[in-house]
Amino acid sequence: MLRTAFCAVARRGPHKAPPGAPHLRRRLGPISAFASSVDSRITRFCVEKTDLKDYALPNASWCPDMLSLYHEYLEKTKTENWVKLPSFKSNRDHIQGLKLPIGFESPLSSAQGEYRIHTRGIQMEGQGYEYVIFLQPSKKKSVCLFQPGPFLEGAPGCAHGGSLAAMMDETFSKTAYLLGEGLFTLSFNIRFKNLAPLGSLIMLNVDIEKIEDQKMYLSCIAQSRDQQTVYAKSSGVFLQLQLEEE
Amino acid sequence: MFPACAVRLRALHILRAPRGGVLPPAGERRAAQKLFSSEKVIHKDRSLPNSSWNSDLKLMFDQFMKKCEDGSWEHLPSYGSRSSQIVQYFKEVFLETKLRKDEQMLSQARLFTRSYEDGLGFEYVMFHNEQEKRTVCFCQGGPYLQGPPGFLHGGSIATIIDETASMTAIIAGGIVMTVNLNINYKRPIPLCSVVVINCQVDKIEGRKLFISCDVRSIDEKTLYSDATSLFIKLDPNKSLT
Repeated sequence: MLRTAFCAVARRGPHKAPPGAPHLRRRLGPISAFASSVDSRITRFCVEKTDLKDYALPNASWCPDMLSLYHEYLEKTKTENWVKLPSFKSNRDHIQGLKLPIGFESPLSSAQGEYRIHTRGIQMEGQGYEYVIFLQPSKKKSVCLFQPGPFLEGAPGCAHGGSLAAMMDETFSKTAYLLGEGLFTLSFNIRFKNLAPLGSLIMLNVDIEKIEDQKMYLSCIAQSRDQQTVYAKSSGVFLQLQLEEE
Repeated sequence: MFPACAVRLRALHILRAPRGGVLPPAGERRAAQKLFSSEKVIHKDRSLPNSSWNSDLKLMFDQFMKKCEDGSWEHLPSYGSRSSQIVQYFKEVFLETKLRKDEQMLSQARLFTRSYEDGLGFEYVMFHNEQEKRTVCFCQGGPYLQGPPGFLHGGSIATIIDETASMTAIIAGGIVMTVNLNINYKRPIPLCSVVVINCQVDKIEGRKLFISCDVRSIDEKTLYSDATSLFIKLDPNKSLT
């Protein structure tokens, strides 16, 4: 059972073990046998040869804006070193052969059974989160194209604030993990500006602002395609921790 | 139909879609029912025990239902979608015409935290104490809310904090909108465990409501997260879009 508080790990910095937990084996630099680079993490995450369903692909529910932007970014994967991230129904599918460090596991961390990541929890096409994330490692940024479906309602006709917060946290999470082994959210701050209508396209632009003391600082703006309407802005801090081989 | 003074709607009127408060005329109720594809799902009170509730959640429910007997606490019912009456009012007063035209989208809409089947997503119940201006929410996060393997997604936690704080704000201030939400995550929450979200109105300044929350284990020994939030009472004279 989890005994370690995030704040204790973060305060101690990268080389010290948290109290009461076994020493977290810190993998450092390319000379270590277990080091992972951005490229190797992305390759492993994308699991190229697989039967797993990739939910980050166009379907009939995608609005025209979402489709056209998707194709625009797909072009950029050929010309400007962007990477389209696949999205499987569980995080475990993305980190096969890896596990959370000792001291950070729950009784259900390796349980079998039907588990789904929050943003793929509503399965029917178009009803919940429709989204795709593109990453640009060289510029430490990512873009998420997000279309909230009718099951994400908060205020009538509009996306629940929590669903937008969750989409931002998820985009932060994938960006932080792939570009810096950021693993857990330490803090999250969101400022809502305008209600976002269900079924509309929301573009989330995420940047890594800085990395220091085992923490990654990210920012996000969620806005309409033409950037005329800002729906929300947020910032997140992630704890860097390495996954371990199973 | 809804003068400005009626904007200050109590949560009980908003939440009790098919009964209590002001009931829409019979014709409008039938029309409203036709809008929803799955009537039974929408009008069931989801904040009552079902077979997916674990023993911890049922225990807390029973304890707090007992506390409701002397009137100091009240159980807040919770439906799959907002009452059609509220939807209509909100649309007419706060949303511009261009956003109102997607009737099909609106008719399929479900309150996000209630759009999962039993046990798979958020199973939760809220109780409110008017004297203390406090709302507690007992929440069991199901297997479709995963983040890191075995734990709740940070976004799921943000959602249930937002939903509980929103309810606290609605009771104190009528129709409101979240402006800011600031969450500190101290420890990850194990999937399928029950937590208590405690929300408190700290102060009200004009149209601003400041609410703080914490998320703890039900024995209160473990602090998982704490949060502060700012809500604003909506002005019926101003469109939101």
